[in-house]
Amino acid sequence: MQDKQIDLKELNMSDEELFSRYDNDSIESEKITAPRYSYWKSVFRVFFRKRINIFFIALLGLIIVFAYIYPAIIHYNPDVSPWKYVLDPESKHLSPGAAIAKYGFSIHWILGSGDQGQSTFDAVWYGSSISLSLALVCAGINMLIGVVLGAIWGFSKKMDVIMTEVYNIIGNVPYILLISVLVRVLEATFWTMVFALTVTGWLAIAYFIRTQVIIIRDREYNLASRCLGTSIFRIALKNILPFMVSVIVTLIATEIPSYISYEVFLSYIGIGLPQMTLGKMIEMTQPYMFVTEWGFEFWAPVVIASIIAVVLYVVGQNLGDASDPRTHM
Amino acid sequence: MTNYLLNRLLRGVLSIILVVAIVMILVYSLVDRNYIFLQDSSYTKTISNERVAYKYRCWEDYDYLDYVPYTDFLAERAKAGEITTEERLKLANLGYTAADDEEDVAAAVRLFTETYEAKGYTVVRLDADMTNGNLKRGGAQQLFAHRDKPLIQRLWKYFTHLITIDNVHYAKEDIENRGISFTLFDPVYGGKKLSPAVIGNGTKHKYLLYFDNKFPFVHQQLFNVNLGLSYSVNTGVDVFDTMTQSQGSIVKSEITYPSGYVAEVSRDLHSATYAANTYSSGDPFYVTRFVDDYTLLEPVKGSLSKTGFSFVIGILSVAMAYLLGIPLGLAMAQHKEKLVDKLGTLYIVFIIAVPSLAYIFMFRSIGKAVGLPHTFDVDSANRLMYILPIVSLALPSIGGLMKWTRRYMIDQMNSDYVKFARSGGLTDREIFSKHILKNAIIPIVHAIPGSILGALTGAIITESVYTVPGAGGMLVKAINFYDNGVIIGLTLFYATLSVLSLIIGDILMALIDPRISFTSKAR
Repeated sequence: MQDKQIDLKELNMSDEELFSRYDNDSIESEKITAPRYSYWKSVFRVFFRKRINIFFIALLGLIIVFAYIYPAIIHYNPDVSPWKYVLDPESKHLSPGAAIAKYGFSIHWILGSGDQGQSTFDAVWYGSSISLSLALVCAGINMLIGVVLGAIWGFSKKMDVIMTEVYNIIGNVPYILLISVLVRVLEATFWTMVFALTVTGWLAIAYFIRTQVIIIRDREYNLASRCLGTSIFRIALKNILPFMVSVIVTLIATEIPSYISYEVFLSYIGIGLPQMTLGKMIEMTQPYMFVTEWGFEFWAPVVIASIIAVVLYVVGQNLGDASDPRTHM
Repeated sequence: MTNYLLNRLLRGVLSIILVVAIVMILVYSLVDRNYIFLQDSSYTKTISNERVAYKYRCWEDYDYLDYVPYTDFLAERAKAGEITTEERLKLANLGYTAADDEEDVAAAVRLFTETYEAKGYTVVRLDADMTNGNLKRGGAQQLFAHRDKPLIQRLWKYFTHLITIDNVHYAKEDIENRGISFTLFDPVYGGKKLSPAVIGNGTKHKYLLYFDNKFPFVHQQLFNVNLGLSYSVNTGVDVFDTMTQSQGSIVKSEITYPSGYVAEVSRDLHSATYAANTYSSGDPFYVTRFVDDYTLLEPVKGSLSKTGFSFVIGILSVAMAYLLGIPLGLAMAQHKEKLVDKLGTLYIVFIIAVPSLAYIFMFRSIGKAVGLPHTFDVDSANRLMYILPIVSLALPSIGGLMKWTRRYMIDQMNSDYVKFARSGGLTDREIFSKHILKNAIIPIVHAIPGSILGALTGAIITESVYTVPGAGGMLVKAINFYDNGVIIGLTLFYATLSVLSLIIGDILMALIDPRISFTSKAR
């Protein structure tokens, strides 16, 4: 290093040649040289950096179109023909090939027909729209209550003692029992089901959030913030919530598929919705599983349910990863 | 530590009691009690007043309320000697309506009403249901009192009757030589083989303690657990017995009855319970076989109990999950973002996202294609039929263990002590097995008691898909048949297991990690 040092006097230059005056600009000095940072822009930048995510987002869009827009376009009504050919014995339990041969090629018959001569493809998407709505509404309500109460639970020591006991007790009441009792008391409708699934469902989420809050709550920067007189509400909103965004998104990613799975399970044990949801379709067509020509009726809803759940999970997980600011560098 | 554990246990017991109370409120107060008749054929056969009386009788059986018919009241008075038998028969003769009652009957009815209304009962009188001056079928007049059971009373009764201790005053009849005796030579084996047994006389069970060749080899019948009687799932049998009774077809063998009579039957002599007036009535059937009134014998069945099946399948799948899940999770952490990790993540995503019902069915059809038995046969000795349920049950646990093992390992890898160890010159292999693993495994160990005890409760979907006669479907069945006794019994059982597994898990964690302590003093 030393031999590279240059003695300015050896250059034989005057001070004017060596230095030039630079005026102090007060406006220029206010500008920060760091690149502009927008949180949500960065989230999506990181998210779309992975090519596979574009594929999954496209799939998600397709699912939403088929579940919500497709039944509306074709004016799907499960009880009316041409969705049902009850009187025509030839129309029942057709394989895709046989159905297309019978009715000519149309999108309705690419999955064959069911036990009442209805199009499996239409029925699956109509069922998906109910199952998907149930999952979205339940996850939404549970997340909202769970995150808010979990944050309070994490902050208040008094609340912690009470809520931990409540959590221990409610956690031991069999979930199926609670749901089936509520469904029986209040009739099985969509909103009853939502109520039954959310009445204690938020507890687990609140508990998870509480643990996260407790971990972050006592970090030094929050201690400093409190010493400076920041209100607890502001600490929760500005210091802790940004840390939790990725955790919350990841949680949503596991919640939504779990409700689809739960709906299937509840229908299977006989306490589901009266409508033909995905779960109910799987339950009803279960005996056909091993009948060679009829097997398609069972596997179609199973596979569609699996695809929907996997797509939602993967998109949510990757969005969760992307919403962690540490990945934005 | 002892104090802490006692405190934990006490709080656990308290929360179990609260859980049972909540479930009692749910099933007894919230659900419409008329639902229990939905699948009842006797209910649809009865009509008119008879049906009303039948409903109240059933509700008493299902523990909803106390129900006292007028005739029971008279019978009680007759027993107490307040009225004679002739009077009783006369007083039982109610008029078609209250106005038709004869004078002494009306007085007895008044007494009945006053006595029970004072106790908080509601007295109901149904007038005769007539058509054209004739009594309709089932239309006979009824008089009864009923009162809803208060929650506290029901809870108190439930928990005080939970464990009963067999005692020598069980038999009400006159018995000579009441008492408990000890013998080194069990009479069931002819009184020659050395096999200690404790035998009671006057108790409910004859054999209070005995040895035999069945797991767990030493059996006791002194303390009996009563979780609650079943009314529709397994009528008249306690939930605990329903779960632990062996199933399958009966197994006949040559047995020697206490009298020396030898027969080829399916009866377990050790299960002898007291039945009044059987041997002592002189019935030749009993006299030739027995020497006392302990004549009720259970049949011997060849297969495991409900809990037995669930536990065998559950414990093997837990073992499989840990043996596969942890090494796979470790491999994923070690080769982070390599092929192993990516394949493992794919599997985890599949297991978490796909509905469990769907992948169990998929797995079942794969198993069927390979040629494994895909339905369970209780009497079959074929061990292969266990494979599919065990593997199906292990699939999600393997995924979960892989996910958490990987997570914990990677979290530990970034910590300062690992950097320190590396700067100290340790090889990655040494750091991995000696430092990281020891720390990462702690939260995994915490869950082991839970998964082992959880195996006792059975699996709802797996057992129903493979038709395993296990304990998993019992709760669903009880809910669908409105069998309140079974629901409450199972809830208590589940809650106890979950409280216990948390406590045992904490103890285990404190044992393997000296840094964890539950007493503030040690800190």
